Amino acid sequence: MTYPGGRDHPRRDAAPGVRPFLRTKPAPGQSEAGDTNSTLRPFVITSGRVDGPDPDINMETQVSVHPGAAPTRLPPEKRAIVTLCVEPLSVAEISARLHLHLGVTRILVGDLRADGHLEVHVLGDDFPDPETIMRVIRGLRAIS
Amino acid sequence: MDYEPFPRQLTPDQRVVGTARVPDEQRRTTPPVPVKIIVAGGFGVGKTTTVGAISEISPLTTEAEMTMESIGVDDPGPATSKTTTTIAMDFGCVTIDKTLKLYLFGTPGQSRFAFMWDDLIRGALGALVVVDTNRIDDCYPAVDYFERAGLPFVVGVNTFDGQLGYNLDEVRWALAVREDVPVLSFDARFRGSVRDALLVVLDQALHKSIKLNSH
Ligand SMILES: Nc1nc2c(ncn2[C@@H]2O[C@H](COP(=O)(O)OP(=O)(O)OP(=O)(O)O)[C@@H](O)[C@H]2O)c(=O)[nH]1
Ligand SMILES: [Mg+2]
Repeated sequence: MTYPGGRDHPRRDAAPGVRPFLRTKPAPGQSEAGDTNSTLRPFVITSGRVDGPDPDINMETQVSVHPGAAPTRLPPEKRAIVTLCVEPLSVAEISARLHLHLGVTRILVGDLRADGHLEVHVLGDDFPDPETIMRVIRGLRAIS
Repeated sequence: MDYEPFPRQLTPDQRVVGTARVPDEQRRTTPPVPVKIIVAGGFGVGKTTTVGAISEISPLTTEAEMTMESIGVDDPGPATSKTTTTIAMDFGCVTIDKTLKLYLFGTPGQSRFAFMWDDLIRGALGALVVVDTNRIDDCYPAVDYFERAGLPFVVGVNTFDGQLGYNLDEVRWALAVREDVPVLSFDARFRGSVRDALLVVLDQALHKSIKLNSH
C-alpha cells in the first residue's frame, strides 16, 4: 500500500497496526450487565439495585403515563418522571430534563412500568425496515 | 419509606387519571416510533455542534455509564481491564412526522480506550463518526466498534473552517476502512451540511435494511 501525498505530517502505519483495538476487543454484546453501579448516588436512588437495566428500555424508548394509573404516593424522582410523561417522552429526555443519570432513569422507568404507572412503548430489536428508513430520508431531505 | 400499594388489575371503573375519571381513548396519545443515529468521535471533534445543527431542540445532555476497556497500547499486557465510566452524552431530535421521530445521540470515544456502546447501538440505523484531521486516531475506537457490530457508519471529517489537515483519501488510508464505508467532509455548524452527511448514513442503512429484508 502506498501513501498518497507527501507532506511532513507524522505518518501512521496502514494495516493492521493502524487501529490497535481490532484484536483485543470482545464482540458487542459481551459486556457484562450489572457493572453499572459504581457511583453512590444512583445506587441510593434505585434502592441498591444492582441488576442491569431492562433491555426494553433504551434511550430513545417512548414512555407515557399509563392511562389507568391511580394517584399514589411516590418518591420524588419517580413522581417527577410520572409528571413529565403526560405527553410521551423518550427516556433520554426524561433523564436530561430531570438531571437524572441515564442508568438510574432506566431503572426507575422500569419500576414505574412494573407498578402500572407508566407505559413503555417497546419496539422489537429488528433493524428498521426499508420503508421506515425511506420515510426518514424523505423527512430529512425536506429540511433546509 | 412505605408507599401505598398499587392494584395491578384495575376494573374500568377504578381507572383514574389525576383525580378525574377519563376514558382511556381520550387520554392516550400514541407516541412516535423512534429511530436513532449515533454521532461518535473523539473529544472536541464537533459532536455536539453536529447534533445541535440539525436538532429541533437545543441539544440536551445526559450522563450515562459506559463500560470502558483500556487496551494495551502503552502497557502491552495480555489482560485488558474493564471499568465503567460516566460519560456525558448529548442528544437532539428531528420530528419526521406524527408517527416517526429521529433521535441523534452524540457520544464520546477516546483514544486508547474503547467504549462499549451495546445499548446505544441497539436498534440504531447507523452512525456518523466525526473526525478532526488533527487527531485522526481519536476516532479509531468508534470505527473499530461499529465495524465489529455491523452497524452502518460513515466517516465525516469536520472541516473546521475549510481546514482539512489531510485529504479524504489520506483519511481513508489512515483508517483502513472498507471500500464501501463512505468517507466525506462536512461542516458541523451548518444544518444543510449535517443533513447531507446524515443522508449518507441513511443511505447505508437503507442498503443494509434492503439486504436484510430480501430473504
Ligand atoms: N470553526 C469551527 N469550529 C467548530 C466546528 N465544529 C465545532 N467547532 C467548535 O469546536 C469546539 C468543539 O465542538 P463540540 O461540538 O463541542 O465538540 P464535541 O465533540 O461535542 O466535544 P466534547 O463533547 O467535548 O467531546 C466548539 O468550540 C465548537 O464551536 C467547525 O466546523 N468549525
Ligand atoms: Mg459535546
